Amino acid sequence: MADDVKVEGASDTAHLYEGKKVRSSAPSRRKAAGRLKSNTEIPADAIPEVHVPSFIESFFGGPVVAKDKFLPPDRMVSSLQMGSAGSLLILSFLTFMITPVSGTAWFAASNALGLGVAAGVFHLLLIAIGLVGGVYGTFQRDRRAMLISYVALILVTIRFAGSTVEFRLDVVPESEIVQKFILILYAVFLVMYMELSSGVIRFSMLDTSIRMNEVYVMGVNKITRKYHMSLALAPAIAGAVALMTLLINLIIPAIVGIFDDVSALRLKESVELTSVYGVALGTVIVFVVIAAMFAINLPLRVQQMRERNA
Amino acid sequence: MAWSRKSAMFASLAIALYLLGLVLRNQQLVTVAVVLLSFLTWAAFMSNHADVSSSGRRVEDADSDEGIQLNSIVALRKISSARIFEDGEIEVTLRLQNRSNLSKIIEVRDRVPEVMRIKKGANYVLMELGPQRETTISYTIETPLRGFYTIGPVCVRVQDAFGLFHNEREINLYDDFLVFPKMEDIKDALIKSRVPKIFTGAVNIRNPGEGSNFYNLREYVPGDPMKKVNWSATARSGGKMMVNEYERDAVSDIILIIDSRGVSETGPVSRNSLVYSTRAAASLSQYFLSRRDSVGLVVYSDEIVSVDRDTGKKQLYVLLTKLAGAMAKGNTPLKVVTNRIMPHINRGSPIIILSPLEDDPTIVDAVRDLRARNFDVTVLSPSSLEFEFDARRLDRTGYEVLKTERDILMSELRGLGAFVMDWEPDMLLNTALAGARGF
Repeated sequence: MADDVKVEGASDTAHLYEGKKVRSSAPSRRKAAGRLKSNTEIPADAIPEVHVPSFIESFFGGPVVAKDKFLPPDRMVSSLQMGSAGSLLILSFLTFMITPVSGTAWFAASNALGLGVAAGVFHLLLIAIGLVGGVYGTFQRDRRAMLISYVALILVTIRFAGSTVEFRLDVVPESEIVQKFILILYAVFLVMYMELSSGVIRFSMLDTSIRMNEVYVMGVNKITRKYHMSLALAPAIAGAVALMTLLINLIIPAIVGIFDDVSALRLKESVELTSVYGVALGTVIVFVVIAAMFAINLPLRVQQMRERNA
Repeated sequence: MAWSRKSAMFASLAIALYLLGLVLRNQQLVTVAVVLLSFLTWAAFMSNHADVSSSGRRVEDADSDEGIQLNSIVALRKISSARIFEDGEIEVTLRLQNRSNLSKIIEVRDRVPEVMRIKKGANYVLMELGPQRETTISYTIETPLRGFYTIGPVCVRVQDAFGLFHNEREINLYDDFLVFPKMEDIKDALIKSRVPKIFTGAVNIRNPGEGSNFYNLREYVPGDPMKKVNWSATARSGGKMMVNEYERDAVSDIILIIDSRGVSETGPVSRNSLVYSTRAAASLSQYFLSRRDSVGLVVYSDEIVSVDRDTGKKQLYVLLTKLAGAMAKGNTPLKVVTNRIMPHINRGSPIIILSPLEDDPTIVDAVRDLRARNFDVTVLSPSSLEFEFDARRLDRTGYEVLKTERDILMSELRGLGAFVMDWEPDMLLNTALAGARGF
């Protein structure tokens, strides 16, 4: 309405008053004081949030699996989600390939009940739960679904087996080294999947904190590059160490063979050395070496050397 | 080196799978366990590599020590102000130096008191600090509550890329600062002494005398100087000569008594009786001191802390410091306080009591004693009932009952001649003071 009123002969200074309230006198301080009030809003900290813990929370003293709210994933988180889903897909296939139904608890139960097919169905169902739960957990960033996926994929491998490796698929070559290589590949992908899926949660938390201004990150690219490098390097190292322990039945005879060919041959043909106990022996030997490295504080010495040479 | 929850879970899983694999003679399980253990070992090896030795010493001092120069992260902090009012802001600048020859990815958290809010920037930074490089982190904190506070220590953490293990050090670098209660601008407290106390640069009291402020009109009596005749009033009064009277100028002794007992902190952290009382006391101190009155302060909790009456800006800072440090504790009765201070105060001096008037059966006796000795008593009572009711910690019935009891107590105090005001949380101090005086 006010815009429609035109004042005849308005002076050139009219523009100075545009959008301004012009008073006839100074505002009354007393009136203003009467109306003035300090902020009446109840501060957020005044109203306590009441959370009644569940039975499990009371038992463990807090939530077993934390529920977090995240902002939509950024590029780093999205790439981790894709990586996690990819490794899960390969892992599911490898799990299907290397885990026969025979020797499992459900195989025994279904045989006892006379339902031979049920064991196979249950076995596949476990792998499917691991796959679907993992994909859901990764993309929804739901830790409970991830945990279910881990449990399903580990549960499916628990079976009373012979001492040697058994595979579900017959297409796998008979060569011992190839078989052990596939076994290590399976184990590496399981660990990679666990790391990548937990990485999704970790980087989502970090990203949310960054965007909420709780954390400031200087040089994001360098930090993510280091993580990517570690993702490539750590599984390779872990795989190599595991390969050494699995191939201990070849390594020990080779070393002994330098001194005594006959003993080496006997060791090579030893059933114990090719069985799971041979792997246990290999683990002991490898980890004794690693423990010795830590005992002499090798990491710190390497660090000091790098500092001096830098 | 500390283990994270994730590494502990991985290690437990690896051991469990390993043992299970041996029992069941299952190579798959043993292989998974070995890979997991190798993964953990590699991470542990790498996190030990990234060892941090940090020192809280100043860079200049650190120069003399070769050992600390190597591998060390050094921090220096600067804060914009060591004394500030509530709702003020402090800018913090943290300088970090990597004295090592290797680049490090570090997490730095400068520990800030919990009640402070980060307004700008962040006190938690994740960064890569190059060899022999330094960087500066700046952030601004808001100071919502009075008190003595400390920023620090600086926590520096290095962890492996997978977040399995970490090394953490605390750099013992501390900066103290003081937050004074915020002050409200008071136009007129309506409180003046009935007792003159002549000093240079005196101020008005409520008795007529030689002063500068108009007090009232009265009829002319012989001896009054002609300059005091109010000719306009004389013309209006039909021939009676009227003269102006002025308030006598003098300095007053003002005593502020703050109830800092445990009960005074009833309510939310930022809205309770003690918070309001300290803010009011700060505002009143500033007002009276600017009027060149002498202001004394008594804070009673489990002990009685008093600041003797004095004037000037220095006294204001002394009072503000005491108010900033007031802690709610103990249950000293008001009567003990009044008995102790009464012999040391001039009769007729205004006494302002800031108390929630709760949990003290001696309040009425104490005020009666003060009134009997002709002290001008004003009671400003921030109502903790309102705080509790606002915070929904008190139901309607409980509130009504307690409110009635409180009203009865206040009526009793008013009956003794004290000026009493039930100070509601949303009321300005000015309004509360005017209300106490019946305006």
